[in-house]
Amino acid sequence: MHDTEQTHPLHVPRRLQQPVQLGAPQAEQFAATFERLASAVDTVVLGKPEVVRLALTAMFAEGHILLEDVPGTGKTTMARSIAAAVSGQWRRIQFTPDLLPSDVSGVTIFNQSSGAFEFHPGPVFANIVIADEINRASPKTQSALLEVMEEGRVTVDGHPHQVPAPFLVVATQNPVEMDGTYRLPEAQLDRFLVKLSVGYPVEAAEVEVLRGTHQRSPEQLPPVVDTETVAQMAEMAKHVYIADPLYTYLVQLANATRNHPQVAVGVSPRGLIALTRAASVFALSQGRTYIIPEDVKALAGPVFAHRIQLAPDAAMRGAGAAAVVADAFEQVPVPLPASAA
Amino acid sequence: MRRTRYRLRVAAVAAALTLMCALAGSVAGRVYHGQLLTLLVAGAALAAFAIGFLLRNRSAFLAPSASATGLAAYLLGAIALTSDGAEPLGATIADALVNAVPRTLTALIPVEPAPDTVIVPVFLTWLAATLACEFAIRYGRTLLGCLPPVLLYGAGLYLVGPNAAAGPLWAIVFCVLAAAALAVTAAPPERRPDRDAAVDGEAPSRAPALMGAVVTTVVLLAAVAVLGPAVARLVTASPGDPREYVEPPQLTDIDLNPLVRIAEWAKYPDQELFRADTSADAWLRLAVLTEYDGTTWQAAGDFRTAGTVIPGSGEATYSAEVEIIELGGKLVPAAADPAAVTDLPIAVNLYTRCLLTPDGLATGSTYHVDSALVTADRDAAANAGPDLSDATVVALPPGTPEIMATIADHVRSQYGTPYERAQGLADFLAAHYAFDPEAPSGHDLPALGFFLGTPVDLGGQRGTSEHFAASYAIIARLMGLPSRVAVGFDVPSGSSTVTAAQGMAWPEVAFDGVGWVRFDPLPAAGSVPTPPEDALEAMEEETPSADEESGGGGEAEDYNDDSLEQNGDFDAEPAEEDSGLPVWIWYAAAALALACVPLALKARRALRRRRRLARGSPAERVAGAWAEVLAASARAGVKVPAHANAEEAAARLAALESDIGPLPRLVNAAAFAPGAVSEADAELAATIAVGHSRAIRHHVSRWKRYLN
Repeated sequence: MHDTEQTHPLHVPRRLQQPVQLGAPQAEQFAATFERLASAVDTVVLGKPEVVRLALTAMFAEGHILLEDVPGTGKTTMARSIAAAVSGQWRRIQFTPDLLPSDVSGVTIFNQSSGAFEFHPGPVFANIVIADEINRASPKTQSALLEVMEEGRVTVDGHPHQVPAPFLVVATQNPVEMDGTYRLPEAQLDRFLVKLSVGYPVEAAEVEVLRGTHQRSPEQLPPVVDTETVAQMAEMAKHVYIADPLYTYLVQLANATRNHPQVAVGVSPRGLIALTRAASVFALSQGRTYIIPEDVKALAGPVFAHRIQLAPDAAMRGAGAAAVVADAFEQVPVPLPASAA
Repeated sequence: MRRTRYRLRVAAVAAALTLMCALAGSVAGRVYHGQLLTLLVAGAALAAFAIGFLLRNRSAFLAPSASATGLAAYLLGAIALTSDGAEPLGATIADALVNAVPRTLTALIPVEPAPDTVIVPVFLTWLAATLACEFAIRYGRTLLGCLPPVLLYGAGLYLVGPNAAAGPLWAIVFCVLAAAALAVTAAPPERRPDRDAAVDGEAPSRAPALMGAVVTTVVLLAAVAVLGPAVARLVTASPGDPREYVEPPQLTDIDLNPLVRIAEWAKYPDQELFRADTSADAWLRLAVLTEYDGTTWQAAGDFRTAGTVIPGSGEATYSAEVEIIELGGKLVPAAADPAAVTDLPIAVNLYTRCLLTPDGLATGSTYHVDSALVTADRDAAANAGPDLSDATVVALPPGTPEIMATIADHVRSQYGTPYERAQGLADFLAAHYAFDPEAPSGHDLPALGFFLGTPVDLGGQRGTSEHFAASYAIIARLMGLPSRVAVGFDVPSGSSTVTAAQGMAWPEVAFDGVGWVRFDPLPAAGSVPTPPEDALEAMEEETPSADEESGGGGEAEDYNDDSLEQNGDFDAEPAEEDSGLPVWIWYAAAALALACVPLALKARRALRRRRRLARGSPAERVAGAWAEVLAASARAGVKVPAHANAEEAAARLAALESDIGPLPRLVNAAAFAPGAVSEADAELAATIAVGHSRAIRHHVSRWKRYLN
C-alpha cells in the first residue's frame, strides 16, 4: 500500500532559496525552474505538455490535483512522475472499498513499553500523496482527506497532527468504471484546485510510447527540485500583482456561472480563490509578475468546471460544465486599459 | 416555451407591419372620394403580407413569384371593382396601366376611385408589404422591414400634400406600431450586438465618446440655430404638392369658346338642344370666358379631371337631370356652382367652375348634376367697389374702338358708383341697340366696333347676345369694372326641353365681397332702340374734364400695366421682403455645411487619434493605440467582441493580414502591471497602431473612410 520514501540531491538555483523578492529576474528564474520540472515530467508522460504544466501549476499554487480519465491513459504515471521530480517525501495510497480512515490518517496505539498512547502517522503524512482510484474508497474514508487537504493537518483522537509542507494530494479516478465506486462528495471536489483529464496521447506520442525508445519509468526520473524550493516558489506566487479590474473580472465570471440558467450551484468563493492562486502561478511560469486575462481564461476550465453543479434538467440534456464556463467568459467583458482620449 | 414565445414575437411583428402597411397605404385615401381606396389598400397590405408570411420558410424565389401573381390578381379585382363597365375590361385594364400615374396626379381632388386612380396606391402598398415581410419575417431584420411602410407613408403624405387635413393620430399609431414591432424583437441587453462594438474606442473609457456625442450635439444645435431660420424661410407653410409639377391634360378646342354658337342658336331658335328636369329656375352655364385678346374670348384656367364630387362647392341646393339631344360639344351645362356630377366623366375648370366631358356630349347621354346655387346680392353690390383681385378680368388688348371709350365715358359721367355704372351700361346698350338674330357673328374688336358705332342704316347697332355681352364686358373694363362673358341657357324649373332660343351670352361684373353679378344688356322684347349718337353727342358738348383729356381708353390700358399689380391694385401677394442676403447664399451655406460633414468627421477622428496616441502616460498611450487598432479594424469589418482578451483580439485581427506584433503584450502590461510600459513602448504601440490603420485601409469601404 505504501511506497517507499525517496530523496534526491537538489538542483535548485541559489536565488530561489533566498527570501522572496519578486521582480522580473525572479519571475524568469521561476519560469526556468518550472519549465525544467515540466520538461522532466514530459520525458515520462509523453505528448501531454499542457496537462503536465497545469498539474505543476496546481502544485505551486498549493492546491490538490484530481486526475480523471479512463484506465491506461497515464494518470498514475503522471502523479508518480511529479512526485519523483520533486525531492521530498511522497506516498501512494491505493484506495479500495475496504480501506479505513485510519489507514489514511494514522492511528493511536498503546505502547506497552512506554505505557503511553503513541500516534502512528498514516501515509497522508508526506509532501506528495498519490491517492490512486480515490473513488473506490467509501465516503467515510474519502472524508478522511477533507481536513488535511484544506488545513494541512490531521486530527486523531482530538489531537491535531501537522503534515509536512508542502503538501500535495494527487488523486486519480476512473469515470467509466462505476461499479463499486463512490462518487466524490461536492465538498471534497471543491478541495481539489484543478481537475484534469489526461486524455489519449496524440498519434506521434503514442507511436513513441509503443516504440519505447525514450520510455522512462517514474522511478528513473531524477528529482529536479526539493520540497523547500517548491514551498519557496509557492510563496513567490503569492506576491504576483493582480490589478483591481481583474478582481472585478474574476468575481463577474463567478457570478456568471452562478446565474447561468443551466447551473444549480455555481463556483464557490473557494473556487475563485483557487483560480486566483493558480493564475498567479501560471503568470510566473510565463515569466510575468502580474496576471493578465489570458491566465484566467487558460485556467478557468480546470479550476471551475468540477465545482459547477448542473441543474438536473440541464444534466439530462447533456449540458456540460465546460460549456457553462465558456458561456460565462462570453458574458463578461474583459477589462481593458483606459486611454487618455 | 421558447418556441411559443418566438412564434408569438413573429406573429406580433407580422401584425404590426401589416397594419403599418395598411395605414401607410390608406394615407392616400384622404384625397380619394369615399372609403373604397382605403379598403383596397388595406386588403392589399393584408394579402401581400399573408403570402410572404406563409412562404417565409420556402425558397427565396418562391415568395416574389407568388407575390407577383397575387398582385396581378388583386389589381385585376380592384380594376373590375372600380370600373364603370362602359368599356371592355381589357381596354380598361390597358388604359389604366398606361395612364395610372399621370391620371392619379392630375385627377381633381377628391379623386374618384377608378381603375386608373387606384392602381398606383394599391401597387405601392402591395410592394411595401411584400418587402416588409421579406425583410422582417424571412430575414429577421425588423428595422429594415419597417422601412418600406415608412417610405410608403412618406409617399402617401407627399401625394396628399396640402389637399387634406393632417392626421396626427394616425401618425402616432403608425409610430407606435413601428416601436412595438421593434420592441418585441429587441434582443436582451446582454445579447445585443452593440456590446461587441463597445470595444471600439469605448471600452477603455466612455468619457471620450460621451464628450464626442455632447460636442456633436452642440455643433448640430448650433448649426440648427444658425441655419434653421434661414432654412425655415425657404420652406413654405403648406407641404409640397406633386400636382404642381404635372401639366394637366390641355383641353384646347374650339368648343371652349361657345360664343361662336350664339349666332347659330339665334338663327335656329327651335333647335332642341337638351332636355332638363330641374328643381328650380336657373341659368345653366356652358362656359365662362374671361380672357379677351381682341379677337376671341377664352376661358382662363385648365380643366382637371374630377370624380363625381367637385371640390370647393357649398351644399347642393339645386339639382338637374339632363338628357342631351343636339347640344353637342364637350362643354357640359350646369348651374353655378356645381357640387356633384354623376353618370358622366367630368373635368372641371377650377378657375371658372365650368364643366367639360372629355369624350363629348352624345345624343342620348344623360347626367345628373347637383349645384350650390349662387345668388348675387344686388343690394350689397350696389354699395361695393369693383373686385380688382384678378388682373385677368380687367385686362384689355390695345386698339379698342373709339366708340367703346366714348360709351364708357358717357356712362361714367352719368353714374357714380361701380354698380350704377354697370347697370347703366346695361341700360345704355339695351336702350340704344337692337337684338337681331340675323346679325353676322363675330366678337373681335372691329366687329364690335361695327356693332356699336355703325349707323343703323349701314347695318350697325343690331346684334345677338354675343355682341351685346362681348361689348358690355369690354366697355365695363374700360370703366375699370372687372367683367367676363358667360354662355348658357335660361332653364325654368321642372321638366322642359331647352331649345337654341334659350341659349345666350351675358356679361357679369365682379364686386368686392359680393362676387359675380349678372347683367342683361339685351333690349326688352318689342322695344324700339334710340340711336346712341344723340346721347353721346350731348355728352361731348359738355366741358371735358381733366380725366377725360387723358383719353377714354387710357384708363383701361393702365390695367394691363404690370406696375398696377405691384402697386397692390389686384391684391397680389406682397413682394418678398428683402431679407438682406440672397437666398442662394443660404443654399450655398447649407451645401457647404453638408460638404463639411465628412471633413468634420475626419478631423474629429484625427483629433481623437492624436489624443489617444500622444496624450497621457505611456500606459494610457498604449491603451489609446489599442483602441485605435480596434476602431480601425471595426471599420474594416472585423469587430472584436467585448469578452475577447488581447491575444484573442490579435488572433481575430489576423484576418486583416496586418501584424500588430507585441501590441497585445504591451496592452496587457499597460492594463495589469503598474509601471511596466515605458515611453519607448508607448511610441512603439503608436507606430503599430498607425501602421495597422494604413495596412488595412484597403479593407475599409470608401464611404466609411469619409463618414467614420
